[in-house]
Amino acid sequence: MAALINILNASFKYHPQHSEPILALSNISLTIQSGEFTAIIGANGSGKSTLGKLLNALLIPDSGVVQIQGMDTRDPGNHAAIRAQIGMIFQRPQDQIVAITVEEDTAFGPGNLGLPANEIRDRVAFALSASGLIDIRIRPSYLLSAGETQRLALAGVLAMQPLCLIFDETTAMLDPAGREMVMEQAKALHRQGTTILFITHLMEEAAQAERVIVLDKGKIVMDGSPRQVFNQNIEEIGLEKPIALTASRMLQPFIPSLPDDILTKEDLFNHIPQYEGNQPPPHARKRTTPTQSNITAKNLSYTYMLGTPLEHQALDNLSISIGSGNMHGLIGATGSGKSTLLQHFNGLLRAQSGTLSVFGMDLNNRKLDIRSLRQRVGLSFQQPENQIFNQYVGDEVAYAARQLGHSGTLENAVRSAMEAVGLDFFVYKDRLTYTLSGGELRKTALASALVTNPDILLLDEPLAGLDPLSRKEVMGFFKSMHDTGLTMAFSTHQFDGIIGKMDAVTVLQSGKDIIHGAPTDIFSTKGSKLPHALKPPFAVELCAVLKERGWPVPAGIAQLSVIIKMVAEKTKRAQT
Amino acid sequence: MSQFEYLRRVSIGQYLPLDSPIHRMDPRAKIIGFSFLIIAISISNNLYSLALALLVSAILIAASRIPFSFAARGLLPPLPFLLLIALLQLVITPHTETSAAMFGVWRITIYSEGIFAALRLLLRFTSLLLILTTLTSSLSTIEMINGLDLLLKPLHQIGVPTENAVLLVQLTLRFIPFLALNAEKIAKSQASRGAKWDTPNGNLITHVQQIVPLVIPLFITSLRQAENLSTAMLARGFASSTARTSMHTYRFTLRDGVFLLLLLISTAGILFLF
Repeated sequence: MAALINILNASFKYHPQHSEPILALSNISLTIQSGEFTAIIGANGSGKSTLGKLLNALLIPDSGVVQIQGMDTRDPGNHAAIRAQIGMIFQRPQDQIVAITVEEDTAFGPGNLGLPANEIRDRVAFALSASGLIDIRIRPSYLLSAGETQRLALAGVLAMQPLCLIFDETTAMLDPAGREMVMEQAKALHRQGTTILFITHLMEEAAQAERVIVLDKGKIVMDGSPRQVFNQNIEEIGLEKPIALTASRMLQPFIPSLPDDILTKEDLFNHIPQYEGNQPPPHARKRTTPTQSNITAKNLSYTYMLGTPLEHQALDNLSISIGSGNMHGLIGATGSGKSTLLQHFNGLLRAQSGTLSVFGMDLNNRKLDIRSLRQRVGLSFQQPENQIFNQYVGDEVAYAARQLGHSGTLENAVRSAMEAVGLDFFVYKDRLTYTLSGGELRKTALASALVTNPDILLLDEPLAGLDPLSRKEVMGFFKSMHDTGLTMAFSTHQFDGIIGKMDAVTVLQSGKDIIHGAPTDIFSTKGSKLPHALKPPFAVELCAVLKERGWPVPAGIAQLSVIIKMVAEKTKRAQT
Repeated sequence: MSQFEYLRRVSIGQYLPLDSPIHRMDPRAKIIGFSFLIIAISISNNLYSLALALLVSAILIAASRIPFSFAARGLLPPLPFLLLIALLQLVITPHTETSAAMFGVWRITIYSEGIFAALRLLLRFTSLLLILTTLTSSLSTIEMINGLDLLLKPLHQIGVPTENAVLLVQLTLRFIPFLALNAEKIAKSQASRGAKWDTPNGNLITHVQQIVPLVIPLFITSLRQAENLSTAMLARGFASSTARTSMHTYRFTLRDGVFLLLLLISTAGILFLF
């Protein structure tokens, strides 16, 4: 019997109008057997998604052969059978919804297979229960949250009961619980015999696969077990090691008993030894000094679709204060009200009840000159592709400056905003916005909020969906902005790696502010109150394990480098 | 409230997922029955018939468990126009020599014909709006599509591509709320960077100046979404095999028959009773 997937010398070029063809895949050969769990990783533009599309005949290779169970994708007669076997979930779930209700959308695929009505109903019920949507099966598809839309996209493919499922960066926009759910689902399907191809930016997910394929500039550069792949120097091609491996490499000089081949955090935590040294006396924890507050909100409430049968409450009696010069994190699961809150801060949404003042301006005052507020408060939305509306990057960045004014010449304002986010002015100003990669789009969106030289920058999920390299660059930008004293309010559910650098954090749940404090406080003393959808960051978990094994470290440290430094000190003191 | 909630203004698909006898009826019975009622109300010109129509629509609303307040809200937007037309009817309806002047205001005399004409107009539009509200809130777009599909089947037999036409209707309806959401995102993005979206004192010219930079990116995003959607549809096997099937099998039961019969009797009553 032929292998499930067999690719031989396949190449593929995109042919954009008015420009040179772009080589997306070059001379790829690959065999995937039935029942494998394979992760495909690579930087933006490395050809991952193109490879996925070759497999269910959405793209046909320019040269070379792609065969699914021996069926050649070049023969259109095979397409029905191939697409019934290879299911695919894409990057933007909201663009994959065909029908108006959840149930009807799930039935679309099986309907295309020409199945009888009772069989379709069974499969729809099965797929909706498996993805946890059975209770909202008659809900209109446009009223779903981002996470629910993602699950609907999954249900639509599950209902076709394919032999192989391709997840094309499915988890990029999900909160930690959502990501875990997708991963668990992939694993469950894999146990039942489904072949899984997991295209991802998250190395922690790739580490859970049986096989990892690394793409760089359209070529397969590595192919092996996660251990083999992550032990190589993948930083060179814009990737990074899983955080557990990084942490174990950093700890090894001080804890030599750690093995070399750690991949997952469970692995690492199991190998942390008991602390043998003396316990130092406990010392008082440093308190953050209160700063002057730039934004003060009291008892805000907001309901969408108010007065219609579809109304739903997004903010519920929420109070928050954001200090001057602080990097303030708003963390919470999808649908907890983070975006709604941020949009209040620059007056896009007006409080339905409660009070809000920004720089002492009363946002409830209808006569307030809202544009002078917006000049001082920049907002960068989530999913930059939805907020960019100009053809050229230069015009996009210049928009706010043209509307609201700027210091110095327009060119200088645009140039310094672009260079602050790491976009070269001359390279990017005349680039067409729709040709940008995910990281470039995010940087453009950041620059266009920065161009008026605001005093506050509001950032809605600025790290979601970025590849490791762009993530690192964008985080570096935040750090340098923080150093200049810019106030930043930052909504995120992917806070690993960034949370330790925040000055204050507010945890949101169902539109309420449930916890306020410094990151250390939030995860140490009040950790149990965290909403289920939020997992504590890796560093905090490592810290808890060390503490449990007797290491004299304070609880709740969210910055890996701080923990390593402490472990280093303790081991040195123990040795001397 | 925010002026950016465009979705709130989209009234299409204001389906209320309630559990009522009307909601459970076969879509074909609803489409046919309500269509006949609407035609009857539109052409009937007798005051008693229209009063009966209002009674029928009130019964239908009660039976479909739609809150009366919700139904009444649908009457509010056209109300000023209706009252204005009714007022005109009151004044300009021709009267016969014999009919008595009811009362006079200033130099205008009101005759009974005028009063009846105004009443008929108000009754007709109120019952029509209530019937339409009942239909749209008890018939989901999906049921409407499937109902139309089934009713159009005979045309399919003679080679009219009704399946694709019905899919087109479905995709169009699906895109309306998404267009509203896209427009909302772009408008918000422009407003937060200083565009004069929600600042007062806009005249017609500033309105046009706002619309143009919204429409072009809206087209671009929508085209990109349409492209992504078509890829997703192909990936889910659309157009790669011949016959599409549906998860719904509607059985036209006795209950649906009785319901349709009741609607047809009401229609006949409105048309011929008085």
